[in-house]
Amino acid sequence: MMSAFLCDRLANGAAALAQYGGGIAPVTAPDSDPFDSGMWELHRLEYLGDPPDWRADPRMRVLTPRNAEDASHVPIMVDATGLTDPVTRIVITIDYSPLPLALIFHPGRALPLLGFGVKYEIAGPIRATALADGVPARMGGAFIDAMGGGCSAPAVAHTRPDWQQGFGEMRGRLFPDSGRLRVNIRHPMDTGLADGIPAHHLTDLQLLDAQGAPIARIELRHPVEENPTLTFALPPDLALGPVRIEARDSNGYRFSGEVRA
Amino acid sequence: MITRRTALLTGTAALLTPLAARATDPGYHLKPAEIADGVWLIEGAQDSFAPANGGAICNIVMLRTDQGAVVIDSGGTALHGAALRDFADQRLGGVAATLNTHHHPDHWFGNQAFADRPILALPATRGLQAQNAQALSEGLYRILGGWMRGTVPLPAATAVTGGNMVIGGRELRLLALSGHSQADLALLDPTTGTLIAGDLLFLDRAPSFPDADLDAWRGALDRLAAIPASGIVPGHGPFMRDSRAFAQTRAYLDAFQDRLGRAADLGLAPAETLAAGPMPEFAGLGANPEEYHRAVVQRWRDFEDMALPLIGGTA
Repeated sequence: MMSAFLCDRLANGAAALAQYGGGIAPVTAPDSDPFDSGMWELHRLEYLGDPPDWRADPRMRVLTPRNAEDASHVPIMVDATGLTDPVTRIVITIDYSPLPLALIFHPGRALPLLGFGVKYEIAGPIRATALADGVPARMGGAFIDAMGGGCSAPAVAHTRPDWQQGFGEMRGRLFPDSGRLRVNIRHPMDTGLADGIPAHHLTDLQLLDAQGAPIARIELRHPVEENPTLTFALPPDLALGPVRIEARDSNGYRFSGEVRA
Repeated sequence: MITRRTALLTGTAALLTPLAARATDPGYHLKPAEIADGVWLIEGAQDSFAPANGGAICNIVMLRTDQGAVVIDSGGTALHGAALRDFADQRLGGVAATLNTHHHPDHWFGNQAFADRPILALPATRGLQAQNAQALSEGLYRILGGWMRGTVPLPAATAVTGGNMVIGGRELRLLALSGHSQADLALLDPTTGTLIAGDLLFLDRAPSFPDADLDAWRGALDRLAAIPASGIVPGHGPFMRDSRAFAQTRAYLDAFQDRLGRAADLGLAPAETLAAGPMPEFAGLGANPEEYHRAVVQRWRDFEDMALPLIGGTA
């Protein structure tokens, strides 16, 4: 089964991706939760609008590390391009996070593929569920252990730079060859859970074409990593650029930038 | 051809005992080898921290002196340190002093067993030991469980700098370097010509990168390579009389930098770069692919920052 991952651009990357499991959840039966977690039913109700029909779908690929080596930056990549039926939204939920909803991606005219990073405290599944009217909700996911066998320094606590330094700075690039667009925003993404630090996080990010028409949109929530980087995939016509990026946060700040091919 | 070393020096015996006994009564079974006159090497398992090895993963060197052993790195747990101390007491007339090559826990979490004698480290290492002791300790308790029993990390009490030093009548040359971490101490034993490189050198085991600065690391390798040595002890991997550890470590740093630089420049996301696995020529090294997976997470931002130009800001 093909994926839109670019692992094969690196030597031996395709074979390694296959060996890694390809981001496919261990689906046993379409209507049974491959992670057998009590949160799934609750989160379907709370964050997915209680879809009447759902299935665990191996075409929903979710690529993650096996362990949260750095609990504040766990890289995730979701690829729903294998689905043949429509996708209007992809909802990312983390089963055992105090704030389970990480983001809602509206791919629009972009491909249903998204890379991002999340904070991870407790071992458990992260899920990506594709939604559209008239078709079942399709869920894929991966189990992430909260602590790796790593620890050559698992949590060497890095001192945090003053968040106001470079706040809002936007970096990005359009890769016309692959249609990839990557954008990074310097933002603390404070959850409000830490003592004395109020919630302050990005809430919306939008891609716009040369005419100012929307391409894709993301609703961002607290579990998204500090200084987040997002990876999109655009069809060939849009990959020619330019693409405008606009974002805003919970304190009313606005951010913008533009990438060209 | 490099193959993964499967026989764990300290884990083999533990694997033969029943599971319950292993969980409650871990034991370290050292296999010290005299690699040069008065130079003892206790080789670590070529793997990551795991219950199978009890955290005994780095190389420990002891140099015989008139006043006991100079101990270079103290092990990954209090119990590991105690086993090393027993060997020094029984075979080398006690301990003259201990040195910690850098602040990663496999190299100094055994310090408690040596606390009655001077424990020395570079100034920056001492600071990093104090600053990170708690977080590192929590991580290791989670991974190693009972092996960590009684371990209370004890940072080195005394600062040293580079230069010549005489301990117990044995002359030592200390080199203050960096690159694997913010401060890396390497030692030359001029009596035998043995170079003890700490984690600036790895052999047959994938280098770890949590605090790596690749350019500084390469600079440190240049300085070490200029020292005439009769034998080389890497931080992880076997003792060799040739310069294989230099060639392999340098090639790994270059190949890793090339792979991540290429990935970032092609628009790959970090999860894809991780899943694409290690550089094929290094896939079989000890601790890989796990060490590569960790390294991608640890170092990705360095490469991303270079690949993504500034395109905007607050509106």
